[in-house]
Amino acid sequence: MIKAENLSKIYRPDTLPVRALDGVTISIKPGEYVAIMGPSGSGKSTFMNLIGCLDKPTSGSYWLDGQEISQVTADELAFIRNKKIGFVFQNFNLLPRMTALRNVELPMLYAGVNKQKRLELAREALGKVGMLDRLDHRPTELSGGQNQRVAIARALVNHPKVLLADEPTGNLDSKTSEEIMNIFTQLHKEDTTIVLVTHEPDIARYSQRIIHFRDGVIEKEELLLSSPTTPEQRGHF
Amino acid sequence: MNILESIMIALDSIRSNLFRSALTTLGIVIGIAAVIAVVAIGQGGQATVMGEMEKIGSNLFAVYTDWRSDQPRTGDEFALKDMEAIKEQIPEIKYISPSAYAYSQVRGGKNVKSVQVVGVSADYAPMRNLNMKEGRFFNGADEQGRRRLAAIDEGLAQELFLKKSAIGEQIVIAGTSLTVIGVVKQEGSIFNMGNSQYVYVPIRVWMDIFPWNYISQIEGTTYYQEDVQATTEKVVTFLERRHHGVTYMSQTLDQQMEMVGNITGILTLIIGAVAGISLLVGGIGVMNIMLVSVTERTREIGLRMALGARRKDILTQFLIEAIVLCLIGGIIGMTLGVGGAYLIAKLAKWPPLVSWATMLLAFIFSAGIGILFGMLPANKASRLDPIEALRRD
Ligand SMILES: Nc1ncnc2c1ncn2[C@@H]1O[C@H](COP(=O)(O)OP(=O)(O)O)[C@@H](O)[C@H]1O
Ligand SMILES: [Mg+2]
Repeated sequence: MIKAENLSKIYRPDTLPVRALDGVTISIKPGEYVAIMGPSGSGKSTFMNLIGCLDKPTSGSYWLDGQEISQVTADELAFIRNKKIGFVFQNFNLLPRMTALRNVELPMLYAGVNKQKRLELAREALGKVGMLDRLDHRPTELSGGQNQRVAIARALVNHPKVLLADEPTGNLDSKTSEEIMNIFTQLHKEDTTIVLVTHEPDIARYSQRIIHFRDGVIEKEELLLSSPTTPEQRGHF
Repeated sequence: MNILESIMIALDSIRSNLFRSALTTLGIVIGIAAVIAVVAIGQGGQATVMGEMEKIGSNLFAVYTDWRSDQPRTGDEFALKDMEAIKEQIPEIKYISPSAYAYSQVRGGKNVKSVQVVGVSADYAPMRNLNMKEGRFFNGADEQGRRRLAAIDEGLAQELFLKKSAIGEQIVIAGTSLTVIGVVKQEGSIFNMGNSQYVYVPIRVWMDIFPWNYISQIEGTTYYQEDVQATTEKVVTFLERRHHGVTYMSQTLDQQMEMVGNITGILTLIIGAVAGISLLVGGIGVMNIMLVSVTERTREIGLRMALGARRKDILTQFLIEAIVLCLIGGIIGMTLGVGGAYLIAKLAKWPPLVSWATMLLAFIFSAGIGILFGMLPANKASRLDPIEALRRD
């Protein structure tokens, strides 16, 4: 699903070069659930932006769903972000003026889905994250956990190939974090490929594989044989 | 994403900053209102002037001697025989009359007034569409018989004879006593706000009263408007052949109308252009606020890009927002402009003329300003780097 070879990113190459990513090679299979860990500034977000097609690498190659990304145009990148990638951010990034339903509609707006179908699919996605009773609430009228649920619904609504979550529980308390992680586990069970950035070991434990970053390179990989997810935990939502 | 949805998004964003948007569009509102009002009033005024002239008769022409030339006036540039000859020789002519002016005191009842005494033929009344309030205008027989009769303007009749009817009363001009047989109705006209003071007398009588004075011009009409120009020239040639050495000049009402049309057109254009400048200022205001909006909504732009918006989508979104903002201003401005035009026209006593062309032009113009001044901010928005934009707070 994702294949990165010798991926490097240097910010401000001309003035004050920052080598944020320095030759990262990774392969992520379809349906895999990967966590990326590492101290602040180790290049996790930079890596996520590259595999999320928000940015282009300084060098190296990257394949998403069999397509080499460094060759495509800006419009094609937008198309890939729209169709193949779902983003979940630490700070939710919901549009404050819009209701939950309208926020979830957004990606479909750029996919050219008609209004009626949009409403139907947005409702369905919000139902999946247990937010059916909050369709017409604006972000300010919802708790952090609820906002993140809306954001996950938005990430899912176009049925992406990969779900990219950069510190999705960074702004949440531990109980809410657990609820959100249970949603991820459920999505993984439904064959969604997930890449999750976190610096909390407890959160990383929900995944199948942990990749440790340090100073822009992969320090080590850790294969988790047993997931801590139990049926009881899944019952939370 | 289709246009309708873009418009909905634009309206949404305008609504969420209602006060600011309202202030921003004010420049457009004022600009469009001013342009619409000026054009409407200008066109209304022009139409009124034209209408008045039309009422006088657009077939009207006048021939007079060239007052700029050095040739001395002899007094026989226009002879009464000329009129008869012209009417006989030039069949296109319907009415013809001399018009000889003399400023004189008129005594009537117990009052004296100084007025224009006009010597004309019987043709003058139908030629100038004079309507009688009372009595009648003098006819050909009156004129041939040199009967000492007069028709006077309504206003003058009132001043001389107060509430009494003037018909049958005597007036005295330069020692000659005349009987009033008609009172001419004075139509409210923009040329003559109801205070003209004319006494019309048969031309032969006029020549008797003012023997030292002479006929300064002749006026006439043709049956058909398309003949006016050629016929006028014919009259001039005819007169020049009969009076050697005299140069005649002519003017048709058509030419005058054209002149009036040109002048009001130019005036409207100038004032309209000045009003148009306020539109440009309004456009700059829109651009300014759109730039602010782009900065404020950097995160939103970044997010939309992350969710799949192409640069083109972002460009369209902000461009449409600018256009919608300007169009709202334009529509409000049109409403105010039309209202203002009606108000001012009511005060000026002429009909406002709001043409569909003006409205359409104003509409297109406001949209154009939206595009022109929305382009820069929209372009700026579409060129944002999604990562940078998302990081902003
Ligand atoms: N746009 C940028 N310009 C310059 N330096 C950057 C930029 N983005 C990130 N960096 C730098 O690159 C390094 C990696 O950053 P980041 O990928 O955000 O780390 P993490 O997400 O692991 O905390 C850091 O040193 C950071 O300061
Ligand atoms: Mg980070």
